[in-house]
Amino acid sequence: MALFLLRRTTQMIVVVICVVTLVFVLLRIAGGDPARLMNAADASEEVIAATQARLGLDQPLAVQYLYFLRSIVTGDFGRSFHGGYEVRDVVFAALPNTVALAVVTVLVSTAFALLLGIGSALLRGTLLDRAVQVYVSLAQSTPSFWLAVMLVLVFAVNLSWLPAIDFTGPISFVLPVITLMVALTPILIRTIRQSFVETLERDYIRAARARGVSNARVLMIHTLKVASLPLITLVGLQSGMILAGSYVVEVIFNWPGIGKLAVDALASRNYPMVQGSVLIAAVAFVLVNFVVDILYSVLDPRIRLGAEA
Amino acid sequence: MTGAANVTMNSTPLPGRTPRVASSMWRRRTAVVGLLGLAFIVMVAIAASWIAPHPPGQTDLSNVLAPPVWAGGDAANLLGTDGLGRDVLSRVIYGARSSVLISASAMLIGGTLGLITGLIAGFFGGIVDTVIMRLGDIQLALPFILIAIVILGMLPERRPHHLILVLGVPAWIVYARVVRSRVLTERESDYVQAATTLGASGFRRIFRYILPQVWGVLPAIALVDLSNLVVMESTLSFLGFGLSAPDVSWGQILADGRGSMAMAPWLSIIPGLAIMFTVLSINLAVESPGLETRRRLWRLPSRRATRPAGDTHPSMKPAGSAALEQPEDVLLSVRDLAVDFQAHRDSPAVHAVRGVDLDVRRGQIVGIVGESGSGKSVTAYAISRLLAPTARIARGSVHFDGTELTEMPERRMRRIRGRRIGMIFQNPTGSLNPVLTVGFQMVEAIRSNRPMGRKQARALAADALRDVGFGNPEDVLRRHPFRLSGGQNQRVMIAMTMVVEPELLLADEPTTALDVTTQAQVLDQLRRVRDEHGVSVVIISHDIGLIGEIADEVVVMYAGRVCESGPAEQVLLDPQHPYTKALLSSVPTPEVIAAGNLEGIPGDLPDASAIIPGCPFAARCPAVMDVCHIAVPALLPVPAGQTVACHLYTTEAEVLQR
Amino acid sequence: MTTTGPTSTTPLVELHEVRKHYRVRSGLSRRPVIVQAVNGVDLAIDAGEILGLVGESGCGKSTLSRTLVQLETLDAGEIRFKGESIDVARTDDLRRHIQIVFQDPYSSLPAHMSVRQIIAEPLLIHRLLRGAELDQKVDDLLVNVGLGPDFAARKPGQLSGGQRQRVGIARALALDPDLLIADEAVSALDVSVQAQILNLLRRLKRDLGLTMLFVSHDIGVVRYISDRIAVMYLGEIVELASAADVYETPAHPYTRALMDAVPSIEHRGRPRIEVRGDPPDPKDPPSGCRFHPRCPMAQDVCRTEKPALREWWPGRQVACHFADECLAKSGAALGGSDRVPDGVHS
Repeated sequence: MALFLLRRTTQMIVVVICVVTLVFVLLRIAGGDPARLMNAADASEEVIAATQARLGLDQPLAVQYLYFLRSIVTGDFGRSFHGGYEVRDVVFAALPNTVALAVVTVLVSTAFALLLGIGSALLRGTLLDRAVQVYVSLAQSTPSFWLAVMLVLVFAVNLSWLPAIDFTGPISFVLPVITLMVALTPILIRTIRQSFVETLERDYIRAARARGVSNARVLMIHTLKVASLPLITLVGLQSGMILAGSYVVEVIFNWPGIGKLAVDALASRNYPMVQGSVLIAAVAFVLVNFVVDILYSVLDPRIRLGAEA
Repeated sequence: MTGAANVTMNSTPLPGRTPRVASSMWRRRTAVVGLLGLAFIVMVAIAASWIAPHPPGQTDLSNVLAPPVWAGGDAANLLGTDGLGRDVLSRVIYGARSSVLISASAMLIGGTLGLITGLIAGFFGGIVDTVIMRLGDIQLALPFILIAIVILGMLPERRPHHLILVLGVPAWIVYARVVRSRVLTERESDYVQAATTLGASGFRRIFRYILPQVWGVLPAIALVDLSNLVVMESTLSFLGFGLSAPDVSWGQILADGRGSMAMAPWLSIIPGLAIMFTVLSINLAVESPGLETRRRLWRLPSRRATRPAGDTHPSMKPAGSAALEQPEDVLLSVRDLAVDFQAHRDSPAVHAVRGVDLDVRRGQIVGIVGESGSGKSVTAYAISRLLAPTARIARGSVHFDGTELTEMPERRMRRIRGRRIGMIFQNPTGSLNPVLTVGFQMVEAIRSNRPMGRKQARALAADALRDVGFGNPEDVLRRHPFRLSGGQNQRVMIAMTMVVEPELLLADEPTTALDVTTQAQVLDQLRRVRDEHGVSVVIISHDIGLIGEIADEVVVMYAGRVCESGPAEQVLLDPQHPYTKALLSSVPTPEVIAAGNLEGIPGDLPDASAIIPGCPFAARCPAVMDVCHIAVPALLPVPAGQTVACHLYTTEAEVLQR
Repeated sequence: MTTTGPTSTTPLVELHEVRKHYRVRSGLSRRPVIVQAVNGVDLAIDAGEILGLVGESGCGKSTLSRTLVQLETLDAGEIRFKGESIDVARTDDLRRHIQIVFQDPYSSLPAHMSVRQIIAEPLLIHRLLRGAELDQKVDDLLVNVGLGPDFAARKPGQLSGGQRQRVGIARALALDPDLLIADEAVSALDVSVQAQILNLLRRLKRDLGLTMLFVSHDIGVVRYISDRIAVMYLGEIVELASAADVYETPAHPYTRALMDAVPSIEHRGRPRIEVRGDPPDPKDPPSGCRFHPRCPMAQDVCRTEKPALREWWPGRQVACHFADECLAKSGAALGGSDRVPDGVHS
């Protein structure tokens, strides 16, 4: 177990280092010279040179990279171009909002998908199965940003039932969560249904029935325990994705999370802020998947104890 | 070891590697709708400059936010105009052009990159594979949209090729992962190994052998990727990082209209519908029957087919069943049992069992022997009503201790299964749940059939394991099935089944997956179980030697029918049916080897979906007569002592009566 | 020492101390362990003979046959072909001379190719024939394996298991190999079809003078087709002799157990030789004689000292400290007949 953890941790650290490097390279190429961006457009060359020297930009790129790494390790993400706030403070202030959205969405989506997925697996070929299938097709075809706009149009603008934008309490969760749920559930339902159908066809399910085990037990213990394993990976992946990338939803609903922070920062070319939010998002994604990987290995005795063949 | 011997249960009993073809009409229809929708969008995109009524960028400030025709607008602007007076219809049509151009090109780029990298990673493996796949992991860890925005945001002007590259290149990993895993499986498969032994170069193995197999998965991934790309492109446009004017895109129309959402809702609705229509068409097209896709599983046999014995034809029950005398101690009596498999309503029915008669007395071991396709296993599953969902009992009766099983409700049947009819299977390890311990499953089996506390059940389970020869039952109880060998698992299965003391034990190829020295131990256990518990056993096997060694009575089956049955010594040492004779002379036993050549039986099994008017063995029979092709021979006693279904032993009068 | 066949010339193929170990990792915490799949095998196959290789699953018989067609590399030892040591550089040349028929007739043929393409493949790879000559050769091969030219256009999916296996044999014969390896080639077939394929292989041996290594878990099948039989247990050969000797008077307790475990109507109510338990884990083989924990004849010496495979009688090699006692028992079981060998059987 220790060996396995060590291996996985090393793998994760390598991925994080690569992500950090990529962000550095990308922003240096794409963003241009931060010194020019930080100062007014008509700033004199001396001012720019002074800024470059202060930021260490007059050093070779490799040295800059090492400086960058050092500041990341010490948790210093630099200061915002606008207002001079510590990037770290702003990013960590936004993070809980995104986490809250992700947690609520994942919980609601998983429960909803389990219900529909198991239902359609057990009642395959029936009207319910067909209806679920139609939902999956439609939901999969609906672009999130459009759905978000439509929800605002109907529930906030026309009906005025719910707040359109801004974070005003639990009620604000309704529309963003629905939007994200429609985006996430199709694949969840598909996976659950398929996993159930496959598991129900296994020899040991038939053998359990041959032993006179009740249907409820066959379903809730024999099938669910095996069929839900792939779900763990998927839910983990999705939580990570929301943590890292619910930009559209956050922007449209004016949700004060990481995604909105990043898009706003980009629009105003506030690169330290972009850097900080991209890094946090990527690291969150990697971390969640790391945890899920380990969870999966521990929960499946075949992996934990090593099944052969 | 006989992999082909028992394939009939979960798949169609036809030979071949053809996947389960889900050929439901409905599925084909949705796919056609999807393809038509896709074709429509592509045509609109190509013909945009001819069919659009106005140039997309033409502004008319005198006619801003004009409503569509259904809301009172005029025919000049069918879908109304936007905040700058531009014609919405024309802009949507040109938007289709951008969307199709960008998504399709990006798909081609991503697909090509992914196919190449996937092939390389899968085929070469090792460090190349590790590097490529880790790169993919890193890319997936990055928030894609944000990176795309960073790159696109720095461009002063965004033209289609910029978007194509930004969207297309990162998609490689989707293809590469699927291609790689497919290549990995194909690379280890027998036919590629065979190519290696023929001397085929790596290049030839990739392109001549692996690629044609991998090719099949690509269209489905490509279509899914395409629908993602359509959404992604419009999302970027919506956020303001899509194509620059004068190019038009759907996301941009929506973003433009969002400001006037309350006054002109159509500006938000129409482009969204266009995107949805496109993506839905693509998603429906993925359902095409020709495409290899995991979504196949949506199309499984409908539940209608799963009702067992729902339409038994009482009139078809053989009149002769009453005539056959049933002695007092007959526990199980099967008459004219027939089972059909049908994967779909429009696929041909496979007649796995075509009319089987069988009697099992108390305390007797009855062996059913036959080759693959003989219907021997299906018979057992029909008796315990554990047939696959695609199968149904077409006719016949199964009498168990005076009760008819074919028409019994599932709820009551469940109280018979396990408690009165136990069953053990060919694949012992697969018959135990891999994530539950042996102890959990044994306690569960005991408590499902006998009211008993957990502790008591566990003690009973330990005793049962000791009975089948485990020296350390407590240790076995704590283990997961995959930590035990196949032989050990089969003994666990026997213990688990016998601990609730059923009256009948159905054993379906119980030793086929085991080595001979292990098999001998399992057979000894089965014999002990019968001697000590007085249970009746039906043992099914393709191995004539095994049946001869253990069974009191033997039933020989061929193509879903019984050829010959009777006492084991009688049937196997003095066979009367030509098939039994031929079968016995095909097995290399010491006697056959001493006698010289193995005979074998020329030809193959009859088509399982065909209606056979006569004897199913007629086509391969050395003693075939004209009558064999037109009349089914009845199962009748012959002077030697067994019952035989062969026209050599029927009189003409009996043939005419049938 | 290994040239024990009926001819005194150089054997076609010789194996010297061939060893193949795998590293496998299982579970999250465990370190990789070594599986001793093949552990020092000496074997010679004479030209024109069918050598049967029999053993239970995991005994290494398939690994051994795969090393001969270079699907596995050797960890130690040497393979000599016609007296010359095989090295990697000559792989392709060697492949022309040694061909293999696989167990599973369903997975060993590429589903997307026609029968004609499949059989022509080796001839195209080695650039031996083309055009009309190639077509003629494929037709001849199809006739030779009992199918006929009208099968050439079919795809494997349209053939039965027996027909597929005939195609597999035709493909292997296309290069006119010196040695044909049949790796469980009839195990997946029904007995009536199995008999057809066995008879086909016997006929091919007679007509083409083929040398064959016939690998199977079924000792009856091996006895039927082989001239000599090698018995493998846990990666080692425990007995090697003429087919009749091994089958009728086994001199190794494992061979006896193997023979005795084959179920048969003759065995009804007959006491069995006591062999308990499963074969031990090849990751952790027992000390001394690898069979001793299950052997009914095991003595103290068997636990500590590993018996070498040595020639107890001319043409008959056994790896057992008590081969003579075991042979005596086998002879007695035959009813004290005069089958107890005192010399060479061929």
